[in-house]
Amino acid sequence: MKTKHILPAVFLTPAMVILAVLALVPTVYAVVISFQDRELSRPDGQFVGLANYLSLFSDRRFINAIQVSLSWEVLTVVLTLVMAIGLGILLFECTTPKVRNLLSLLFLVPVILPRVSAAFVWKFAFHPLYGIITYPYKALTGQPLDLLSNPLTALGTVALVDVWQWGLFFSVIVLKLLETLPPQPFEAARLDHAKTWEIYAYVAIPMLKAPLISLAFVKMIESLRAFDLIYVMTRGGPGISTETLDMYAFSQGFIESGRISYASSMAVLMMVATSIAFTFIWKRARI
Amino acid sequence: MITKSLVSSIAIACAVFGVTSSAAYAAQCSGTIRVLAQPRDGLTLLERYKDEFVKLSGGADFQIDYLNENDRRAKTKADASTIGKYNVYYIDEANVALFASSGWVAPLLDYYPKENDYSDFDPGRQKVATYDGKVWFAPLTGGGDLMVYRKDLLEAAGIHPPKTLDEYVAAVEKLNQPDKGIYGTALRGQRGSGANVWRWMPFFKGFGGNWFDGKTPAFDSDAAVKATETYLKIFKYSAPGSQTGGWDEAVGAFTSGQVAMLIESTPLVGMALDKKSSQVADKIGYLPPPTPLTGGGYGHGLAIGMKANADDAAKQCAGLFVGWATSKENEQRRLEEGQFSELNRTSVMTSPKFAELYGPDLGQALAETGKVTAVNFWQSPQWPDLGDRWGIILEELITGTRTDVQGGLDELNDFAKDLVARSQ
Amino acid sequence: MSNRHIGRTVGKVALALAAFSAVFPVFWTVLNAFKNRVDIVTPTPLFIFTPTLDNFAYVLGRDSVFAGLLNSVIISGMAVLIGTVLGLPAAYAIARYPNRWSKDIQFFVLSLRFLPPVAVAIPLMVIWLDFGFYDTRLSMIITYTLLTLATVVWLSVPAFSRVPKEVEEAARVDGYGPFAVFFLIALPIASRSLIGAVAFSFVLVWNEFLIALMLTTSDAKTLPIVASELTQLGRDVPWGILNASVVLLSIPPLLFIGVLSGMLNSAFKRKSS
Repeated sequence: MKTKHILPAVFLTPAMVILAVLALVPTVYAVVISFQDRELSRPDGQFVGLANYLSLFSDRRFINAIQVSLSWEVLTVVLTLVMAIGLGILLFECTTPKVRNLLSLLFLVPVILPRVSAAFVWKFAFHPLYGIITYPYKALTGQPLDLLSNPLTALGTVALVDVWQWGLFFSVIVLKLLETLPPQPFEAARLDHAKTWEIYAYVAIPMLKAPLISLAFVKMIESLRAFDLIYVMTRGGPGISTETLDMYAFSQGFIESGRISYASSMAVLMMVATSIAFTFIWKRARI
Repeated sequence: MITKSLVSSIAIACAVFGVTSSAAYAAQCSGTIRVLAQPRDGLTLLERYKDEFVKLSGGADFQIDYLNENDRRAKTKADASTIGKYNVYYIDEANVALFASSGWVAPLLDYYPKENDYSDFDPGRQKVATYDGKVWFAPLTGGGDLMVYRKDLLEAAGIHPPKTLDEYVAAVEKLNQPDKGIYGTALRGQRGSGANVWRWMPFFKGFGGNWFDGKTPAFDSDAAVKATETYLKIFKYSAPGSQTGGWDEAVGAFTSGQVAMLIESTPLVGMALDKKSSQVADKIGYLPPPTPLTGGGYGHGLAIGMKANADDAAKQCAGLFVGWATSKENEQRRLEEGQFSELNRTSVMTSPKFAELYGPDLGQALAETGKVTAVNFWQSPQWPDLGDRWGIILEELITGTRTDVQGGLDELNDFAKDLVARSQ
Repeated sequence: MSNRHIGRTVGKVALALAAFSAVFPVFWTVLNAFKNRVDIVTPTPLFIFTPTLDNFAYVLGRDSVFAGLLNSVIISGMAVLIGTVLGLPAAYAIARYPNRWSKDIQFFVLSLRFLPPVAVAIPLMVIWLDFGFYDTRLSMIITYTLLTLATVVWLSVPAFSRVPKEVEEAARVDGYGPFAVFFLIALPIASRSLIGAVAFSFVLVWNEFLIALMLTTSDAKTLPIVASELTQLGRDVPWGILNASVVLLSIPPLLFIGVLSGMLNSAFKRKSS
């Protein structure tokens, strides 16, 4: 009986201590630095109180970054789910088991690719002169099509790559979810002469409500990681039209001016916002 | 241990007596000299002669990491301001003040081998490599601006090469024929103190603008508004892709025959004349930029890092590399490879071989444009910060996400005041 | 009936398009990696050309690429190893010895994923600078352990829960102690799913970009950073070389596709039974 008490302690303690240290120390550090005026080239920071936070709210690029980040979240989460549910149903309805297994494997390829690779692959495909996607447009109109330098289309184009990665992956999960459903409700609906789309809209999807909400939740979290795609494809441009919060914090803290304290104050706000939002959603949905 | 202290004492002795003969160090360098640079044909060429340097240095190797121009500026700054792992940095006119005043690079001439003769470099290049009375880098490239045009297109349209800016704008407008795949010009739209701002500054300076009056920002002026409006006006006739493109895109558009006329840095001429990379090699003419535009004087080169080269011996070795990389022998190799834009030494540019390859015209055009070449940027360690911020606003104006020029300048003004206050 | 038939045909076409979109960009990149520059920079995309190995030879011959590869292997490998050694027992303890903290611990582990990477990277950059470990493999391994450990724990808890309790109890009756039950019974039975969890954590850190970008400048640069630097070089750069470096970067994660697909299958099987 005694060992039963020892095992959890022995097994849990090292992992939890390490996780706690690795998570808490940076968090505390971020808060401390955010009250200073440290820069990369001047490590001896002074305490400046809330000055960084106050100037954030009169910073046009920060306000813009919040808007871009929110658009990005909505755009990628919604499109990913729409694509995943649509393709998931098609996989379930229109395939033989062999094809189904093959497609399930192929649909995993995009999400496993390093984001840097995915971003490059698509950036090159969208290249106005040599791109394979823009080629038909160029061949038909004689004009190059430059989607990534147009402020109206740049964010959507980058989001497409994100949806390509996650939408295909999630469609496989939706398929697996559909496979777990009991067949009886489907048969009952079919006996009532329900159309195929009605079966899904009124029977299958409502039955999968809880796992689909989990998927949406996971995607919301993963969509916070927009940086890699944006860094490789647009660098936040044209202008600041694709500059998300992480891109802006990165350029302030590292590349553009090395103002790590200022960037830290952004990081702290992001941490607070995401922690509150996701904890709230998590507890509400009780996923 | 004994060898090591011997090396450093020799190095110190030599530094004291000013004997910077590479022969004295030939047997003492070891390890890998790490260089952070941007891609240059001249540097790639050096890699072919690695063995020569290994022999010269007595065993030291070198490794060059390449980043694109904007990234190179950012990463050299990030590396130098934190841990400084690179022995040699590629720096330029725009950040020499920052690197020198922050103590990130060593005064070059203390470690530049005497027999490599620094005074042989073009006086203009020497001038941009100098800050606060000292020389900080050995030039790899540099120059001013030239207006480059397609003779065939101008003749067909009955236009004489423009001498003034008004004529230039009118000509660009007339030459713009998108339905024929020909665009009036190619500008740089991509953000950055060395990108869109670089091409905008000749207008700003040409219209009499000034960056600062003492410590007070002075650029929020009519000159800046007029410069920006003119820049945006000409941008209407700029080739597609240039809205977020830089030097590469502008050069690419011209050499592939899509552009009638543009004002760009002098190396463009070399590239446009080179049949290997240019489809318009026998159709181009070039002149100094139209008045009142000033030429953007620039220079890029190699500097010796302070942190990675902890002791004097290490700095001597880095200096040996910089000296070798910019030596007359290596410039002659570049000349033979047709790397016109990477020649910096008077002795090479006035050599018979140069005249034979490029003819007398180019030499004269370069001399002419030298007269209007100026320092357009604000010579301060804070220049990259200010220039990059203006670059973003300018990119927004160019791509149309923002329309009020005055509002953009006001925003930059606030940023500049904050910048000056923070540096106090 | 015919309506239904048309619907199914449209559905099949849509699926075929999706499959095409999943694979073609990758295929195209691989193709470009074997092209000379002249065959890439063409007005019309080329499918038939004389292949060349020059791009791969160049990429593999560059010191920076090789150093990035080595760094990636060492850093990802060590982080995954530590994450596995510490994470699997922790996950087992959570799955089999629930107490009043278990829910909170699980939520804490998940909540680490809520943290925006940039919010972790900025303070870590300052910490490693202050401690003098900036741009070292050690600091990267420690940082990545945060990712691998949390991921391994998170994905392994359900895997251990799926091990039938009766089997463990039977072993205990046979005189196995709790530790022996873990090592000799639970680990082997759950191994399929556990391998999936470990593979997933490997793919995660192998592909990681932002943190590596901020915590390294030269010595500890990982392959994604080196590859992204190559892809940003500009117009004059041979595109074939960029494509080759992207292919090289993508090979290791793709090797795990079978394992990950297997993990997905076993994760959803439980619900159907």
